[in-house]
Amino acid sequence: MKKALVVTMLLAVCASTGFAEDFLSVSGRLNLRGVIPLNNNSATEYPSLLGRVKIDTTPPTWKFHLWLEGGWDGSVDLPAHDHSVLKTWDEVYQSTTPFLEFKELYGAYSTDILEIRAGVQRFSWGRLDEYPVNDLLNPWDYTQFLRKSLEDRKIGVPSLSARVSKGDWNVEAVWVPILVPYRLPLPTERWAGSTEITALADQPGVEVLTREPDLPARNLKNSSVGVRLQNTGPVEWGITLFHGYDPRPVFKATTLVVTPESGQLVVDPGIVPDFHKMSSFGLDVAAVKGDWSFRAEAAYAVGRYFNTQRELWGYPSDITPGRYDLNPNEHKSDTIEYGLGVDYRLFEDCLLTLQAQQTVILNRPETLYDRKFETLFWANLKNGFLNQKVETNLNLAYNPEHGDTMAKANAWYVFTDSWKAGVTAVAFWGPSQSLFGRYSKNDQIEAEVIFSW
Amino acid sequence: MIKSRVGFYLFLAVLMASPCAFAMSGRDVYEKVQEVRERGLDRKTEATMVLYDRGGGKRTRTLTEYGRNASPEAYKVLVVFNSPADLKGVGFLIHAHTFADRDLWAYFPEYKRVRRIPTASQDDSFFGSDFSYDDFSGPPNLNDYTYKILREETFDGKPCYVVEVKPKIRRKYTSYIAWVAKNLWVHTRIEYYQDKELYRSGAFRDIRTIDGIPTPFKIEMENHKTRHRTVLTVGNIRYRTSFPNELFSQRALERGGK
Repeated sequence: MKKALVVTMLLAVCASTGFAEDFLSVSGRLNLRGVIPLNNNSATEYPSLLGRVKIDTTPPTWKFHLWLEGGWDGSVDLPAHDHSVLKTWDEVYQSTTPFLEFKELYGAYSTDILEIRAGVQRFSWGRLDEYPVNDLLNPWDYTQFLRKSLEDRKIGVPSLSARVSKGDWNVEAVWVPILVPYRLPLPTERWAGSTEITALADQPGVEVLTREPDLPARNLKNSSVGVRLQNTGPVEWGITLFHGYDPRPVFKATTLVVTPESGQLVVDPGIVPDFHKMSSFGLDVAAVKGDWSFRAEAAYAVGRYFNTQRELWGYPSDITPGRYDLNPNEHKSDTIEYGLGVDYRLFEDCLLTLQAQQTVILNRPETLYDRKFETLFWANLKNGFLNQKVETNLNLAYNPEHGDTMAKANAWYVFTDSWKAGVTAVAFWGPSQSLFGRYSKNDQIEAEVIFSW
Repeated sequence: MIKSRVGFYLFLAVLMASPCAFAMSGRDVYEKVQEVRERGLDRKTEATMVLYDRGGGKRTRTLTEYGRNASPEAYKVLVVFNSPADLKGVGFLIHAHTFADRDLWAYFPEYKRVRRIPTASQDDSFFGSDFSYDDFSGPPNLNDYTYKILREETFDGKPCYVVEVKPKIRRKYTSYIAWVAKNLWVHTRIEYYQDKELYRSGAFRDIRTIDGIPTPFKIEMENHKTRHRTVLTVGNIRYRTSFPNELFSQRALERGGK
């Protein structure tokens, strides 16, 4: 990774001096962000200064692509937990600032019908926004979950992909040789949400340890594969097969250990991120009818894991020194997930997007927090004004089974080709274990200034 | 006998003085325009769009457009933005099965997904400019409009037919009046009306003949309601390109035409 960083810097220098103007295309942006929390008891967030550089070689047959991000992340609890600058593929808890991360870094070889890519890649499979059920190749970074867009949340994975395109047909095969774990914030950080661990961390005189999980052995047997066949006729459709590690977080309960140390309690909560293999068979379609654009997808997943209700994990009501064996808290079930999304243009520069999706847990015991049917409704209204100098977005999400909601509104003003500024307000409601309710301390207003080149 | 001859000449005089007296009908003019457009379908254009708002603000976008005559279907078009950074790699793709039946896709690198879009948005602003998606969408279906020559006059030093064109199908405008240069068969000016109110107008300047095809190198489009205007300057254009079908695929859209 360090070699890649040196190559990146050399390429950036070459490009900036005009040395390789005909050979390289370079773009980037700087983003200064500040957050005003609206809840008194929420974790602090400092201002952030984040940068992004994208470098592409222009010759079409052999291609090199790089997307590097980095900067000072104000959501990290200071002093930073991990002082390595480069984000790795080995750890779940990577709270570090300043940081550098290769979001994408690959070489590609293309002919008229074939494209082979090798390196760090992100994929976008399926059709739905926010939670595409067939988009399973990249784990997510949950350290700023729900304030980042879906694509920004995705962690690039080292992978080999091949895509064959002929007429209306496309076949893409992807091999991810190693498990790259999802990333989670520390319990004291702003986007940790409400969990059993954050409840402990909130108590005075308690220090909570976070334990990295033992990742599955990095061998061929533990790699992940995906295949997607797509047809782009009048009704577009695709079939997706995935076999590999489920990128969605689930936790294993082991042993709670509470130790007195220097006048405070040090708690190992005995909850570690867990990883399980699963298989998924999916189908997606897209079509346009009149003023409506429709998208739908469905997936049958074999062997997904879910956590039971937190009250059943076996935590004692009072935290006193000792060891407490926790109860098994994972349950395996097949699921069916499906969803439908529509775009409708209300008037010029105003687009309404609606989406409904549902997960059915086929073998659900009463102990699970998730219901047999879990539904999510999303609505987004995007509006442009003054020839797109001003853009506004209103986003609402609702889960009827638990009654949790998220509302987000933002407005952007474009000053010039390079400068724009925006304000985003977000609020959450709902029970503490629900998807949105767990962030009910995270209501905030955020201001951003972006310079791009 | 004499009376009947006088009557005949009077009838001819009235006929010649009426609009029907033009050597061509409005439809004939637009068939010539369509012929020029169809000859120019195989092309690559590199252009710069400068957007001026009424406060004096200025934004610049550069784009590359690829076109292909897709006979026996109508045509295919791929447009990709090269700058500014926010729009780099954004593109849209059109497959026109006939001049009246098109499929549209848009690609936004931010979302990494190709999205089908309804053709209902064809009169909407093209990425904040005063051009519409339709202005970049290839030739229209002539049967979707009615044509009437209003007069002949000189515009920008070129003798023109002034033709009123009315869409038979629902559009954002109720009619447009176009100045079509005689012998070149390209627009030199266009005015879009909503009922009788002028809301958008354009001037087509610096017309050069490239590979036998008259081509305006500078187009100024102004929205009279918002007082916003856009100047599109063609930097480079190449006809008879014969791009392969693969360039007009979703894969090529994702790759920015590369």
